Amino acid sequence: MRFMMLMIPKGYEKAAPGTSEAKMVAAMMKYNESLQKAGVLLAVDGLHPPSIGVRVSFAGGKPKVTDGPFTEAKEVLGGYWMIQVKSKEEAIEWAKRCPASENEVIEVRQVQELSDFPPDVQKAAAGFSEMQLQSGQRRG
Amino acid sequence: MRFMVLVKADKDSEAGKLPDQKILTEMGKFNEELAKAGVMLAGEGLQASSKGARVRFDGKKRTVIDGPFTESKELIAGFWMWQVKSKDEAIEWLMRAPFDQTEVEIRQVFELEDFGPAIPAETLKSEQRLREQMAAKKR
Repeated sequence: MRFMMLMIPKGYEKAAPGTSEAKMVAAMMKYNESLQKAGVLLAVDGLHPPSIGVRVSFAGGKPKVTDGPFTEAKEVLGGYWMIQVKSKEEAIEWAKRCPASENEVIEVRQVQELSDFPPDVQKAAAGFSEMQLQSGQRRG
Repeated sequence: MRFMVLVKADKDSEAGKLPDQKILTEMGKFNEELAKAGVMLAGEGLQASSKGARVRFDGKKRTVIDGPFTESKELIAGFWMWQVKSKDEAIEWLMRAPFDQTEVEIRQVFELEDFGPAIPAETLKSEQRLREQMAAKKR
């Protein structure tokens, strides 16, 4: 089963452009290596703050672009891990091992696999797995 | 440059309700275009937050809270990872997505070069090794 661990750092919605989570990266390095050594790490990335991001809303199918920052947002994503484990409990155990501080929350979410969907949806998505293989992504 | 494109959750996604067949088919076509253009690096949907959990940290203490997270307005239902030349190019692609009523956020992904002199060389080397190992797994 694949899970995402979403890192939500408090206050990141207010972070200035060019904020690089230097301390976070160093602290996370050992943790990332432990995930890798255990064979569970599929992907890990950090995100630049939303102050240089963009939101697109699709009300009535019409796209509207709004530049960051998004001052009304109370939580924003700072980064993520994608892991492959046997159960949600195992994913939560890994999340608990993260050297995070009380300014951070990790949200654990299960990734949808094609097999989770009914047959007609799988058909509509047919070719997507193939695409992902071609673009080099590992399937769960 | 890489951008993470975050599709925000709504009532339907949180109820585990799938989009209708027409939108699914159009989304399939859109994903194909992204892949053909070499833009698509990854794309996944996430199960509703009712199947998820949150972990809070306080010194050595860990608190696990089960979903759903009804008070959050920033839940994510899915994401893409795109490789493009600029933020404008990412926006252009997103404008063509067959969404009917959704909010999507575009965020630039940190590359090793972005971290600058604040990160010790040893950490950068470890990070580089990690990425190489993950890439090797994909082949």
